[in-house]
Amino acid sequence: MLISVNTFWTILLIVHGLLAIALLGALTHQAMAVLMPVRQSAGGFVTRFRAVPAAGYATAVCVLWILTFLMGAWIYTKYRIYVRIPIEQAGYWKTQGFFELKEHAATLGLGLLPIYWYIWKNVHDPEYDGVRKSITALLAFICWFNFLVGHVLNNVRGFGS
Amino acid sequence: MNTTITTPTTSTASPRARAATSSLAASAKFKTFAVVFGISVPVMYFLCEWFNLPLFTFHPATNRVEFWWAPARSGEGPTMYWYGWTVLSLLVGSVFGLLATLLPESVTRKIPLSLIWLLPVLALIPLAYSLMPFWTK
Repeated sequence: MLISVNTFWTILLIVHGLLAIALLGALTHQAMAVLMPVRQSAGGFVTRFRAVPAAGYATAVCVLWILTFLMGAWIYTKYRIYVRIPIEQAGYWKTQGFFELKEHAATLGLGLLPIYWYIWKNVHDPEYDGVRKSITALLAFICWFNFLVGHVLNNVRGFGS
Repeated sequence: MNTTITTPTTSTASPRARAATSSLAASAKFKTFAVVFGISVPVMYFLCEWFNLPLFTFHPATNRVEFWWAPARSGEGPTMYWYGWTVLSLLVGSVFGLLATLLPESVTRKIPLSLIWLLPVLALIPLAYSLMPFWTK
């Protein structure tokens, strides 16, 4: 075997994390652009951060959400035994509770993807302006929440620890 | 230099001038499917979690998969139900979405779009509540 079992699962965890970072960046750009649209001149960093072609992110966000979800679901099998049990034994109950909430939020976000994609592909239709803002903001919130919870959990007990 | 830039967001003329480019994005049936799927999944996921209704149970220590709900087996480690809840929610959401495409557009157009984001937000409240043992230990 080229790599150890521990290394294999650690690589998968890192890939999961990298996909999450890409998703986080895309969704944050898009959410900022739709919630605080740039109407005037290019200014500082924040203005430029908002001044992205938001509609062009939709397909990438869907693909990244699905890939991140699948990678997370894969490593979850090992997490359940090698991470969760020691976390519970150490008494980090709230940390584990937030992980449970993360898994719920990830599935709820998955259910939003088809309509999210549709309303961004119909960006010309003002009928969807309100729901486009709400869904994008919700997905961005879930993504940030899940990323931070995953990050803290990795600090508490990442693979190989 | 104060350069005027075109806003890339929803409120500018530039993106609005373009109609949906792919056939799927222009399809009323896909819209109906997506709306009903988006509404059904959070409701179904909440029901699955609240009443513990997984399509299957996964035993990660032995890689055993059992149909529907199954208890942990002695000496075989914990069980996982999340996969079963998720798959069942997505399947039911897909079936409802497909069935909704058979309805006339005059009916499906009346479904409030706000439900799509409201229901997942509302579902998170009881889902967080169901985790009370973790918050109070």
